Amino acid sequence: MRSRTLGRAILLIGVETIFFILFAAFMMTFDTMKIVLFILFFIGIGLLFTKWDRARHVLTNLFKELKIFASLWFVVLLLTVPFVFQSSPYLIHICVMAGLFAILALGLNFQLGSTNVVNFATAASYGIGAYASALLAVHFHISFWLGLLIGGSLASLFGLLLGIPCMKTKDYYLSLVTIAFGLIIYILLINFTWTGGPNGIPNIPPPSLLGHSFKDPIHLLGYQLPFQSNYYYLIFILVGGSLVVAHRLHHSRVGLTWNAIREDEIAARCHGIDVTWYKILAFCIDAFFGGVAGTVYSHYIGFISPENFAFIVSVVVVTMVILGGMDNVFGVIMGAILLTILPEKFRAFEDFRILIYGIIIITMLRFRPQGLFPQKMRIYKKNG
Amino acid sequence: MAEIAQQLINALLLGCTYTLIAIGFNLFFGALNVVHFSHGDVCILGAFMILILYGVAKWIGAIAVFPPFLLVPLMILIAMFLTGLIGTFFERVVIKPFRYAPLLMVLVATVALGMVIRETVRLSFPHGSNPQIFPRILPATSFQWHGVLLRLDNLIIFGTTIFLISLMFLFIQKTRMGAAIRAVSQDTEAAAMMGINIDRTVAMTFLIGSALGAIAGILIGAYNNIIRFDMGLMGGVKGFSAAVVGGLGNVYGAIIGGLILGLVETFAAAFIPGGTPYTDVFAFLVVIFFLIFKPSGILGEKVYEKV
Repeated sequence: MRSRTLGRAILLIGVETIFFILFAAFMMTFDTMKIVLFILFFIGIGLLFTKWDRARHVLTNLFKELKIFASLWFVVLLLTVPFVFQSSPYLIHICVMAGLFAILALGLNFQLGSTNVVNFATAASYGIGAYASALLAVHFHISFWLGLLIGGSLASLFGLLLGIPCMKTKDYYLSLVTIAFGLIIYILLINFTWTGGPNGIPNIPPPSLLGHSFKDPIHLLGYQLPFQSNYYYLIFILVGGSLVVAHRLHHSRVGLTWNAIREDEIAARCHGIDVTWYKILAFCIDAFFGGVAGTVYSHYIGFISPENFAFIVSVVVVTMVILGGMDNVFGVIMGAILLTILPEKFRAFEDFRILIYGIIIITMLRFRPQGLFPQKMRIYKKNG
Repeated sequence: MAEIAQQLINALLLGCTYTLIAIGFNLFFGALNVVHFSHGDVCILGAFMILILYGVAKWIGAIAVFPPFLLVPLMILIAMFLTGLIGTFFERVVIKPFRYAPLLMVLVATVALGMVIRETVRLSFPHGSNPQIFPRILPATSFQWHGVLLRLDNLIIFGTTIFLISLMFLFIQKTRMGAAIRAVSQDTEAAAMMGINIDRTVAMTFLIGSALGAIAGILIGAYNNIIRFDMGLMGGVKGFSAAVVGGLGNVYGAIIGGLILGLVETFAAAFIPGGTPYTDVFAFLVVIFFLIFKPSGILGEKVYEKV
């Protein structure tokens, strides 16, 4: 029996490592032709996986049985990313951005995915977090770590404000409110003088931890990792934390309530659910995630301007949630990663990026509204 | 006094633009219960049509041959018709497939469609990200009247708008097709049972709404003397706001909503010190105020939800 488990563990390690190597190789390819071949290869694997039932069963059972081991090995692999991309900081930068957008998308997923409330003001909470912590750091020398909390909380307060109209309005009206709020924040950021106006805020200090500034490279085990690695590990922890929060929320009463509201708001209300309160809660949590992501972004890049928080950013995050699969935590993260990495890989077509995003949304909604990774039915085990 | 009169005229002009866009929103909402979030972008397409048509007219030498009072109305008519067709096409491709899907889908799909339209315009014009100079198609003369400056082109714009809106109301009230549109907006299924061709009626509303929207786009271009690919986003949100303030689904409400928004914006810019950059903020605050305290708008009926 033990040898069987050992064999399965080795198989698992093998599968995960092969995928990781493929991913690393894909990231290091810069030739458009080869990138296209890689993508076709990945799509082929995906199709094979959906068609070949036996292989799928074996693998899913494998992951289910050795769940903890599988995630641990996955974490170990992800921790080695800065070592693998040691010579090209640009690739680590892409990974950091993918992580940031994963946090934003996870936040939005509470609303768009779980509750079916559209929010086009993600960019606003992202911007509020970024501006709040940047202003505090530049003018009052408040440390990044405190700024992270303050940025998140301020954004959360904004979410509460945004949630208030949802007491009376829903659907189209509510989306109008969120669009209007997003545009208001954008206009204010451009026109206020104390936020630097259209020029934004330059020279935001990098965070430091135990005397180690995040602008310095990491020296570890005789390797010198570029300074982006600091942020990579920070983002790694934050995404991990968000993932746990999202997962726990999904499996808690709150997540169940959100799903109930999504399925039928009136029925939910009839069962005694305080619909307004739960919607406002979704707004607040989403905005908190946005604020945290914004804080990290501002300190990582060191310069922010209103352009970083325009309406289009909100739509991009919406695209990530829809592409990945609404309400599926794993799918949403995959959506964020895909939509951050692929545009970077096709830099030659940079101009068409937003156009392609739009086309992706429409085609996905039309032909596969459940997203690439659909959410499974909730399964409850019988007790005893 | 003259100052207030001057601002009132400005507000009226701005209100006309918003009304034209809002009428589209109300027509679509009446016919299909959808909000076509990319309607603003379709409207701006009207202005870009004029840009293209003007270029074509210049290229074939029609500008030198025909007098402007013949050529300009012709160009506007063609632009209206083409924009109307484009609007109908979008309805078929993007809105119709979601007729029985959850509301969220068509909402996000139309927002995405707006993005596609904006980017297509940006990519298909040389230096599309920069503002394009809008051709001066209206005479630039102006005259004083009791201390109020009146521009001839503004008067023409105002007259045309009133004429078109009245024409549309006549169409909706007096013709067979108009009756069909009203019937579909009251109850789609009952209308279908009475033998009304739903698809054709919906297509017609999109044709009318988008054609009127094209005028709004041309107004925006003529008023600012420039057009930019992303003006449709703001125009659409403002038009939708006007429709909501007036009462979504009520075509008459569009006029009231448009005028209210126009008044708020111009008076905020004129009489609040340092308020000019924040006009949009004031407009949106008014809309949010309405949504919180009177979500059904001024002329809208209160909708009761049923299970």
